Amino acid sequence: MRDPNAIDFWRGFALITIFINHIPGNTFERYTFSQYGISDAAELFVFLAGWSIGIATRGRDGNPEPPGRSVVRLLARTVEVYRAQLTVMLLALAIIAGAALLLDNPLILEWHNAGGFFADPIQSVCGMALLTYQLGYFNILPLYVLLIGIAPVFVLVGRVSLLAALALSVGVYLASLIFGWNLPSWPGEGDWFFDPFCWQLLLVLGFVLQGWNLRSDILRRWARRLFPMGVVIVLLGILLAVTEIRPDPMLVPEPRLLFTFEKTYLTPARLLHFLGVLLAFAPLYRVLAPRIGRIVGYLTQMGRNSLAVFSMGSILSLIGQLVRFQTGGGVLIDMLVAGSGLVGLGFTAWFVEWRSRSRSSRPRT
Amino acid sequence: MAQPQQIVATADMMRAGYPVRPSRAVRTGAAGGLAPALATWILTASLWGIPGGSAAAEQPTIPAPGDPTLSLECRVPGAQLYTVAQLGAVKAALAENRPLKILAIGGSAAPGASASYPAKLEAALEHALPKVDVTIDHRGLPGEIASGAAERLRTMVAEAEPDLVVWQVGTHDAIARVDVDAFASALAEAVGWIRSHEIDVVLVDPIYTASMAADVDYNRIVEAVRTVATQQGVPLVRRYEALHYLSSRTDKGEGHMLGRQFRLNDLGLRCMAEHVALTIATSLMRTETPKEPKAAPAQPPLTEPQRAPG
Repeated sequence: MRDPNAIDFWRGFALITIFINHIPGNTFERYTFSQYGISDAAELFVFLAGWSIGIATRGRDGNPEPPGRSVVRLLARTVEVYRAQLTVMLLALAIIAGAALLLDNPLILEWHNAGGFFADPIQSVCGMALLTYQLGYFNILPLYVLLIGIAPVFVLVGRVSLLAALALSVGVYLASLIFGWNLPSWPGEGDWFFDPFCWQLLLVLGFVLQGWNLRSDILRRWARRLFPMGVVIVLLGILLAVTEIRPDPMLVPEPRLLFTFEKTYLTPARLLHFLGVLLAFAPLYRVLAPRIGRIVGYLTQMGRNSLAVFSMGSILSLIGQLVRFQTGGGVLIDMLVAGSGLVGLGFTAWFVEWRSRSRSSRPRT
Repeated sequence: MAQPQQIVATADMMRAGYPVRPSRAVRTGAAGGLAPALATWILTASLWGIPGGSAAAEQPTIPAPGDPTLSLECRVPGAQLYTVAQLGAVKAALAENRPLKILAIGGSAAPGASASYPAKLEAALEHALPKVDVTIDHRGLPGEIASGAAERLRTMVAEAEPDLVVWQVGTHDAIARVDVDAFASALAEAVGWIRSHEIDVVLVDPIYTASMAADVDYNRIVEAVRTVATQQGVPLVRRYEALHYLSSRTDKGEGHMLGRQFRLNDLGLRCMAEHVALTIATSLMRTETPKEPKAAPAQPPLTEPQRAPG
């Protein structure tokens, strides 16, 4: 078990934020940082996943492990995330269908576009296995499967040159912005909510920065120097979010995706804002950690078990939405939903660690 | 060439017991030279197996159950089905003889993989607008209009650059118990934005189902969609009202293993395409010829919006 550290802390923080933001309309939504900027917790989550790949594919001494082992490690992780996605999707569909039956309310079947599944299960079940059928709010894990699946390419290139890995990634990113590349949804028209061709950049960026951070002090020095700029970007983000000023996608010049604030394509404005957030808030952990030990413990435990916590968070937020829907919401219900969710997520993280502890300490039968 | 068609269409509509103020429709139609649109009434009527000009239709023994251009199970009186308004951009596309590009947003495919909602809508519109090539882009729009989804809509519209957006709206916000005023203002802003780019909008309000009939918030969301449609001067498919009407009809025959509400829901999905197509066709008939200044304030809807029961 890792000691508390900044990566796990921020990951836990991102998980909590995603959980709250996935119960739309709830009172606490407006207190999450996602409401006060252009980018949100999804960016943080993917970036930290990349950073963690950097850690995971190196030994304790910081030297890269043999390339073959890294590839197998990432493959194993891909399988794990894929399995989680299938489980979460099945449970989500069952919860939606079950609620519709129990409450005698077919409206619930339309929840997060699940209606497509119930109307056309034959194609949808194939799409589910192919990851091309996604429910609203259940679209981060498919992205994650794909990103970790292609991560070996960047990790191997990174063994030769981190700069080359980053250049490759930026190239794919810019090309998909200019040509509008994305993976299709199926069944049904449209594309993935998180465009993997664009979002891979954050993963690779996390991976590359982790490598540079390990190698020398230059990155940290620059981060300190650029801190004021980060603060300015964050303030600008707050201003834009609060005043709801954003570019009109019909009026910006071609290629449009270079100029809009679109989440699907992680457009440059979002990326820039995220980097600003990173610069402004990264130093915060060192200040906070000694003061809020308990919270740090709680968040880092979640961060260490992010896949389990994320999966459980998706399910709990769906249940939370159903509870809000059926009861009509309100501050009390929201407190109950968010409170039990936070306890549930904390328990999930604890449970996973308890299980692995008790497994390793006892001989397997 | 156009003249005889108009006359035939008018006569046919009269005979078929066309319920929505035929005289007015004809007058507008004649003024606008709307031969193709009017001719479609014959076509749609005949294609959907409506007896045109039969003695039974002239002297109906039972009151007309609904608009006769709809298939039997989907028939709803016009007043309970739609609110019409001008569709200038669609009209312009038709006048220029170019393919009509529609972006259909929201809603799932109808039950049965063979005839999904976008496929059915395309077929229904191509019946209603012969010689017009209709292409439909169907997109799901996850999330709430009041938070985020309206943003995504803008990008979708910018990508598709359609002539018309058919938007099933309100369900997600209703489910999320979003504040109604926030929903209404976000929707009004989004509709206004689409229209500011010379793209027409047809709104479709949420479904009717018995367990939601007494739900105050839900009815306020349905109401908000209507209010926005009226204020913004866009046609509205009043799905809530239509399904409420259909639910009140005696349903004989087909049962549903999951119960009555699920049967009604299936029916609603099956009828969606027809209801949308009829709303578009009717709105087109009432639309004046293009080249008029687009900046002219939107016409008030021609039928009065009705309040949802409950």
